Amino acid sequence: MTVAALDTRTEAMEHEDARDSRKLGFWLTLPAQLLVLFIAVFPILMQVYISLTDWSPLDGIDWWQAHQLWNTFANYTDLLEDNRFWSALGRTALVMAICVPCEFLLGLGLAILFVDNFPGRRFLYSVLLVPMMVVPAVAGYMFFMLFQSGGPVNDILSFFTGSPVRIAWLSDPDLALFAVIVSDIWQWTPLMFLILLAGLVGVPEDQLRAATLLGASWTTRFITIVLPRMKTIIIIALAIRVIENFKVFDNFYIMTGGGPGVATETISIYIYKVTQQELIWGYVAAVALVILITLSVVSAYAIKRMSRSRELSR
Amino acid sequence: MASIAFNNVTKRFGDTIAVNNLSFEIADSEFFCLFGPPLSGKTTILKLILGLEKPDDGEILIDGRPVNHVSPARRNVAMVFQNLALFPHMSAEQNVRFPLAERRMDESHIASRVADVAAKLHIGHILHKSPAQLSGGERQRVAIARALVRDPVAYLMDDPISALDARLREETRVELKRIQNELGRTMVYVTHDQEEAMSVADRIAVLEAGSIRQIGAPSEIYDNPHSSYVARMLGAPAMNLLELDKGRASALEGALPLSGLAVPDGAAQIGIRPEDLLVGPALAAGQGLVRVYEVEPLGGVTVVTLQAGETSLRAMVRGQPKIDPDSQVSLSVAAGQACFFAGDGQAVRI
Amino acid sequence: MTAIHLENLSKSFGAFTALKGMNLDIADGEFVALLGPSGCGKSTTMNMISGLLEPSEGSIRFGERDMRGVPMGRRGVGFVFQNYAIFTHMSVYDNLAYGLKATGVAKAERDRRVKDMAEFLHLTPMLNKPSAGLSVNILQRLAIGRSAIMEPAIFLLDEPLSNVDAAFRAVMRTELKHLQRQFRQTMVYVTHDQLEAMTMADRIAVMDHGKLLQVGTPIDVYNNPSNVFVAGFLGSPGMNLLKGMIVRTDLGMRADLGDAGLSAPLSSAQEKSVSDGQAIVYGFRPEHCQLTGDDGIRLPVTFVERIGARTILHLGNKGASIKGVFDNDVVARSGEIVTLSIDHANIRLFDAGSGDAIVEAR
Repeated sequence: MTVAALDTRTEAMEHEDARDSRKLGFWLTLPAQLLVLFIAVFPILMQVYISLTDWSPLDGIDWWQAHQLWNTFANYTDLLEDNRFWSALGRTALVMAICVPCEFLLGLGLAILFVDNFPGRRFLYSVLLVPMMVVPAVAGYMFFMLFQSGGPVNDILSFFTGSPVRIAWLSDPDLALFAVIVSDIWQWTPLMFLILLAGLVGVPEDQLRAATLLGASWTTRFITIVLPRMKTIIIIALAIRVIENFKVFDNFYIMTGGGPGVATETISIYIYKVTQQELIWGYVAAVALVILITLSVVSAYAIKRMSRSRELSR
Repeated sequence: MASIAFNNVTKRFGDTIAVNNLSFEIADSEFFCLFGPPLSGKTTILKLILGLEKPDDGEILIDGRPVNHVSPARRNVAMVFQNLALFPHMSAEQNVRFPLAERRMDESHIASRVADVAAKLHIGHILHKSPAQLSGGERQRVAIARALVRDPVAYLMDDPISALDARLREETRVELKRIQNELGRTMVYVTHDQEEAMSVADRIAVLEAGSIRQIGAPSEIYDNPHSSYVARMLGAPAMNLLELDKGRASALEGALPLSGLAVPDGAAQIGIRPEDLLVGPALAAGQGLVRVYEVEPLGGVTVVTLQAGETSLRAMVRGQPKIDPDSQVSLSVAAGQACFFAGDGQAVRI
Repeated sequence: MTAIHLENLSKSFGAFTALKGMNLDIADGEFVALLGPSGCGKSTTMNMISGLLEPSEGSIRFGERDMRGVPMGRRGVGFVFQNYAIFTHMSVYDNLAYGLKATGVAKAERDRRVKDMAEFLHLTPMLNKPSAGLSVNILQRLAIGRSAIMEPAIFLLDEPLSNVDAAFRAVMRTELKHLQRQFRQTMVYVTHDQLEAMTMADRIAVMDHGKLLQVGTPIDVYNNPSNVFVAGFLGSPGMNLLKGMIVRTDLGMRADLGDAGLSAPLSSAQEKSVSDGQAIVYGFRPEHCQLTGDDGIRLPVTFVERIGARTILHLGNKGASIKGVFDNDVVARSGEIVTLSIDHANIRLFDAGSGDAIVEAR
């Protein structure tokens, strides 16, 4: 009897303990939670609000009064018909579709070279990482100079062809796109290389040896052991670059300003121009929201894949 | 210095019962060994003593005081982990000092405590080295020194030498026993190695599925197991168990004469330790024979595996007798050296 | 099935010599254990046989074929790694099929061989399960099966039991031995555990510091160690080794063993092979000690360790420390001083300088 009574009391006490500590936890983290809420949620809500109006800073009213210019979904319907938006979006996708695979393959190739030791490896390794550390705007300026019609790229081409080459790289729509893509690949292949090298080093040596002893060729080993083992890190690398590439701005803007015409206008440049030059902020808010949602879907998928493959490899 | 007692302690993790209504007492200065297969609750018992887990039911007492609601830090019980958990970036000395330095003890006191413990564990000459420079056994002693330096009332060790190689394990366990003897502290030691348990322990608790099957001095458990489970847990090779039918070992078809043994009523199995199963030449007429399947000479002893139908038996013979695989031999049981178990596995006696 | 011949095999890494002048012939179908502590060169030897490392000097032949320059994938060697190196991102089936697939064996043939191997190793129920998270004994069988399916002439095993806990090791040992009997392939087994080597191997090759010290059947090496290292390494506990000096007394030659006192007189054969004043190491196995003597080594009992069927007496301390293995009815207590008698036939003498066994004159 006494023992039973004692036990009940203990249990009740422990229950109370647990509840108390949960309550305390709530109050202790409340300020941080509020801050996060303010930082993350407030700007988005504000954007949703503005995207439903015709507000522009030129209208002479403050943003919280924007409901006076309420237009419901007009911005969104406009967006559907905005060809410049869609072509910017398509162009961004095109740039991504060229840049990310090129960076991936180049990065992977370099990582494979660098996984084994060779003389000068450390030096070359640090040289390879330099582009990543250059401020994108500076990189943009460098490539702007390189691709001038009297610039070094043409000089090198002249040297090899033997006759003077005067290609107007940045004023031809197709060549301009090529030039900006080259600058992006130059700058971001090192990041890909770095991440993939880390993944490659992490492939268990014993498994590779086991596969070799079982008669697997280099290619077979690469396909059956290395790639599956690197799956998670490859997804991470690709996700990072897809998301980053979607936001590409600095070097593009400096090299071409989005031109000639709209030939190199990516979605970021488009938003910048609409914001700064046309000042129709309600519309911009709608554009930004659409992009935010698209990117969130992509990253959510990537994160899901990552956590799943981590579970599998456990 | 302290005794440790469990009164009807139960611990569950979700639906699994890790420790089931356990009651036992560890005496002051005793070397107490928790021995059992993986997941039998050994480590959970350590965590309960340490205070890292709280019992769902029952009471734990240290030195007669209930400690259910005392935090781990105030129980003054030290733990040596399986992986030793030495700080690799600190020297051996810094590792040993760590628990005292953390408590802001004054420098002269720390120095004297460290010197004291180092002398007891014979590690004075290696204190300046980093863990990476130490051998397995030395690392072991540094980890123990770190546990001892704050003068705990009891210390707990979770399979601390399983990572060492065989030869070093043999030496270290004797060393541990010596250290415990000299320090005179209560030691609770977890192991899954029967040889280690028998070597070091004053008493062993044999565990199965969260319950203690038998508790006692190693020789007592070895000579007098309460159940066939306990009988097979201690000893290598394990005890041979044979079904009995009308007082005869049915599988052996008369190849094992039990006439000299008094078989108690209700015995369903006979248990014979390999060293008590005597292998003889195939001389006696009329006695059944068994086939030698395998002979493993270990030097000092030879393990002979015998096959009779589906049943295989192991005998351990001293020295290096000439026994050929596939030959026929006769068997007998050393006088008075058999155990009997009932159908439920419990030991039966006359 | 192939014999392996190692001839004057050496390997150095920069200034460090991992293996020096190893000569060993392993017969077709033989199970040889390379035994030694870590850093003794046993893994280096195995890696050279597998083709992972190229020898600095000497040659490796499989049968008549010189293996120099043959890449590891072409040597027909099965290798079981310490951690088994199972492809955990594949199913059990895919692991077994890996080598066949990699070498282009047709699907139907592949399927048949995988199923046969799975049946043979009792892996059939888990063929389609992911290999991650299987228990160690299944992983061991899978690792062996994955190599065996390629029907290698030679099987190399690199400490496959070192990650298995003590209680389970005996079971795995038995299983491994049975597999070897069934496959009948030449096997080279690397281990630091003398018990594994003693119980499994046809012959043991004991190595230390990059040198092969002794090769022989387990019992031969155990009974007649060629030097002090081998003597101490084999056995559990290992051979007792006491440093001493030969002295001449009224009753013949004896060994002065310092703290352990004077040994009993040497046998006449032993007397002939040593000289007065020679520094020696006096060796005998713990199980050959008896407490019946009145003339011989005298030491105090420091610790009585009873382990099941036997009792180990720890005698003496720092200066002269030995162990004796007895039956459990031995009468001895801590602190008591005992006199040991050891049969002449069981005493081994070693030269203190070189550590080599002193061969008894006949």
